[in-house]
Amino acid sequence: MSTPAKWEAVIGLEVHVQLLTQTKMFCGCTNHYGDAPTSHVCPVCLGLPGSLPVPNEEAIRLTLLTGLMLGCNLAPVARFDRKNYFYPDMPKNYQISQYDDPLCAGGLVPLDPFLFPKEIQDTAEAKAGRSIRLTRIHLEEDVAKSFHFEDRSGIDFNRAGTPLMEIVSEADLRTPGEAFSFLGSLRQVLLAGHVSHADMEKGQMRCDVNVSIRPIGQKEFGTKVELKNLNSTSGVRRALTYEIARQIAACEKGEAIAHETRRWDDQAGATFTMRTKEKAHDYRYFPDPDLLPVRTDQGLLEAARTRLPELPTVLQSRLIQAFGVTAYQASVLGADRVLCAYFEKAAAQAKSKATVANWILNDFLSTQPDPATTPILPEFFGELADLVADGTINSAQAKKVFAELMANPASPREIVKRLGLAQISDVSALGTYCDEAIAANPRSVEDYRAGKTNAINALKGFVMKKSQGKANPLQVDEILKAKLSA
Amino acid sequence: MSLAYETIATLRRRLLSKEIHPRDILKDLFTQIDAREKTLHAYTYLHRESALAAAEKADLSLPLGGIPIALKDNLNALGDPCTCASKILEGYKAPYDATAVSLLRQAGSILLGRTNMDEFAMGSSTENSALGLTRNPWDPTRIPGGSSGGSAAAVAGRIALAALGSDTGGSIRQPAALCGCVGLKPTYGRVSRYGLVAFASSLDQIGPLTRTVEDSALLLSVLAGHDPRDNTTDLRPPEKFLTQKNGSVQGLRVGLPKEYFLPGMDSETESAIRSAADWFKKNGATLVDVSLPHTPTAIAVYYILATAEASANLARFDGVRYGRRATDARDVLDLYHRTRSEGFGAEVKRRIILGTFVLSQGYADAYYRQAQKVRALLRQDFEKAFTQCDLLLTPTSPEPAFPLGERTQDPLKMYLADVFTISTNLAGNGAISLPCGFTKSNLPIGLQLIGPRFGEETILRGAHAFEQAHDFFQRLPPS
Amino acid sequence: MSAPQINISDVASLARLTLTPDETAKFSAQLSQILGHMETLSQIATGAVPEVTPPAQPALRQDIPTPSLSIEAALSNAPAQANDLILVPRILE
Repeated sequence: MSTPAKWEAVIGLEVHVQLLTQTKMFCGCTNHYGDAPTSHVCPVCLGLPGSLPVPNEEAIRLTLLTGLMLGCNLAPVARFDRKNYFYPDMPKNYQISQYDDPLCAGGLVPLDPFLFPKEIQDTAEAKAGRSIRLTRIHLEEDVAKSFHFEDRSGIDFNRAGTPLMEIVSEADLRTPGEAFSFLGSLRQVLLAGHVSHADMEKGQMRCDVNVSIRPIGQKEFGTKVELKNLNSTSGVRRALTYEIARQIAACEKGEAIAHETRRWDDQAGATFTMRTKEKAHDYRYFPDPDLLPVRTDQGLLEAARTRLPELPTVLQSRLIQAFGVTAYQASVLGADRVLCAYFEKAAAQAKSKATVANWILNDFLSTQPDPATTPILPEFFGELADLVADGTINSAQAKKVFAELMANPASPREIVKRLGLAQISDVSALGTYCDEAIAANPRSVEDYRAGKTNAINALKGFVMKKSQGKANPLQVDEILKAKLSA
Repeated sequence: MSLAYETIATLRRRLLSKEIHPRDILKDLFTQIDAREKTLHAYTYLHRESALAAAEKADLSLPLGGIPIALKDNLNALGDPCTCASKILEGYKAPYDATAVSLLRQAGSILLGRTNMDEFAMGSSTENSALGLTRNPWDPTRIPGGSSGGSAAAVAGRIALAALGSDTGGSIRQPAALCGCVGLKPTYGRVSRYGLVAFASSLDQIGPLTRTVEDSALLLSVLAGHDPRDNTTDLRPPEKFLTQKNGSVQGLRVGLPKEYFLPGMDSETESAIRSAADWFKKNGATLVDVSLPHTPTAIAVYYILATAEASANLARFDGVRYGRRATDARDVLDLYHRTRSEGFGAEVKRRIILGTFVLSQGYADAYYRQAQKVRALLRQDFEKAFTQCDLLLTPTSPEPAFPLGERTQDPLKMYLADVFTISTNLAGNGAISLPCGFTKSNLPIGLQLIGPRFGEETILRGAHAFEQAHDFFQRLPPS
Repeated sequence: MSAPQINISDVASLARLTLTPDETAKFSAQLSQILGHMETLSQIATGAVPEVTPPAQPALRQDIPTPSLSIEAALSNAPAQANDLILVPRILE
């Protein structure tokens, strides 16, 4: 459903990202999921009386690195604050977070057109090339995991105190498709920096959405609704599509939008009121006296800088320029750094680099390979492309070589030999085949000469059959034409 | 003479010369405890058996080898209760050691027992204990001071050689003054707070209560140093204190802050402090008049910041993971309300409410943030004063121990008892209280010496010289 | 600025405390007296004074795992538990 022309949506995202650290944010417990409940806890992350937090420097470096990658302003001195509210999944009943002095402020996420939903990648919306401004990025601790039973809840504190990076966008997004691309584009950056696996479906990246609508042209924001329980990027898109339509329908009926938090029900495909926000939370933030301010300008920032990867946008333009791949191929390669490295190796020495991209992205990828462990050396694809380019084999033979390459990995040159595939380009040999073809197919010859140029295909087919598919089709074409017009 | 009357320094010499065995010390202490604890109620818990067992295995080569020490009941020690004198920690047994406790263990000392306190260290009289009140050894109708009242009463009453306390606004020094022993609050960041149940994190420090300044230095030498588990501990390398004792105060510049000598103050206290100042002058120190102009704001700043921090620090006591849990709660919210309303005493509730209020929306700027700014001014006062002098000399408490029950209904008046100790917590400086006289009714009077930040060596030298030139520390409370 | 009237019950509820009528009355009186005393602070000129910022120092923790508590020790104080989870009454939003 598209937004009726008279309304526009205003969307802001708060994205929580689990960081790839060995240990928790403020204690040395292992940062790992899926283990036996309560097996990674200590006095600190269990909030025992007397325990004290000490910040994990790696979590700070990863947050700074994210800030560098997204062009944020990085604070020379950052502070941790206490955010006070009671909840059983929060051991201290305050969360250590950052309020006044976050590690990063500002920044931009460029929307990758190819990370919009497939069916709208060709629209102006996707091709607009917008960048979404960030408000801030800060670091905090995650809460425990609750399991709800009939009359009780059980809590596993393994996740409590693990590092969580919160990325807050400005209310710059206007469509569900943009929100979808924002999450995908952000994920590419996080993957590039090895900051997080950032998989929403695994809870490594979580997203709260704020959305309101307003008549196009109006400056003021409408009443904002917060959406929760969004567990995938496509879920975010569906929830937003639903919610925007709901708000528009309400407004057009003259109903007021309630300032509330709504829960997305993926099964029902609808949002439902969770709680109204008449009484705003009073979190009573104040600087955590257990933690000294963090100086980032004494080594932390430099350490983060040395880890700056090639950013997705930079990588994509380089791939297009250096390898002649399409923008789409660049986006696919950019999304998988391991595959991209594989491609770059494959294409490095190849004469036809764009063909290498086709082989890898079309044929190879469809076999669902693991580029990190595959026994098929990347150089093989360069060789395969070159064999076609220099006329050693034709494209039909190349398909055979590829199939053999997958089944019994070896150098394509060897496979060509092994299968006896080398193309016949010898003019006299081909001439003989062509003479035989003309002699054996007088009807086709007649047709061709009568102007039915398609009739030559029957002659070509004869030559290919005779030569067991080894004849160079381009040369065959030339020779036949020459002989027929003689 | 009972070994319970000796100092740690003396007992260490006698242990090393094999004249006595650690079990002899414990035996004498337990004899004293059996005789006096019923009156004093200094302890919440005694480690009779484990202490005797530890005495048999004591390693005398360690700095505190064979020396029993009592802990304030807000320090976690593995396997032991840690009640903070609160019903809310009923049944809690610590699954870990506080850094201070593990340092004491590593230094060879024996855990003797756990001492009574105001609930969560909130109070100045130890009357806010859910486990019963503690009495002053010099006059059992009077308070021992607080919040480390159990530690002070045990040391002064000769039922402990030394005890650890914690000091947030005077909780080591004020009871030491009122009970006639030595109480040291180290500079903020000197001693790890890891394992000390937090009252106000930016103010809390662990410190020793002892009979003598020398013992105080001995304990500080064991406790001081950076702890990777406490982000607020200072990075300077470990120090040994008072290794040279020449007893001289020659050339020392002693500042007398005028704001600490006010008209109408307790006359016996004032004259004892003036005599102490005279002694310093007579022995070659220079007296300097200094000013700490923001002193009158200290109580207000303190009660805003301390309660604000406490309101968050005490949020974790909710009946979910440990301690008391209210029964029959309908849901989690009900569990919180019931557990906390039943588990906390009146003073704790009062402070949590005050602290919640000063941080709440619409009030945080006027109270919490303004208090932080005034705290910066208070700190500047001290920095300025220490350009003019090496130590500040003041009373520890405006008056000697007051009668039990006198102020329990008047919290503001109770808060004012900390007027001379609070500023040093706000500024972060170290300070000591040691006996400097007695009233006509035989109640101890405490002298406070405040040093520049990390100036414990100067404090201990000055205090030791004064102490050794007088016999106050040798006087015994009536038995 | 004069001492504000605190709605004690609201503040108590933020701190998850329920006060008896007796406590409410007593604490209201005591807290307004204490807040009255705190009014002295509003007289102090602090316009140019920054809030106290403790010295920043790089005493951070390296990202190296240290031993956790055993599951038994971690749950040893739990008032209610099952299947290594700590149990609480149901959570209502």
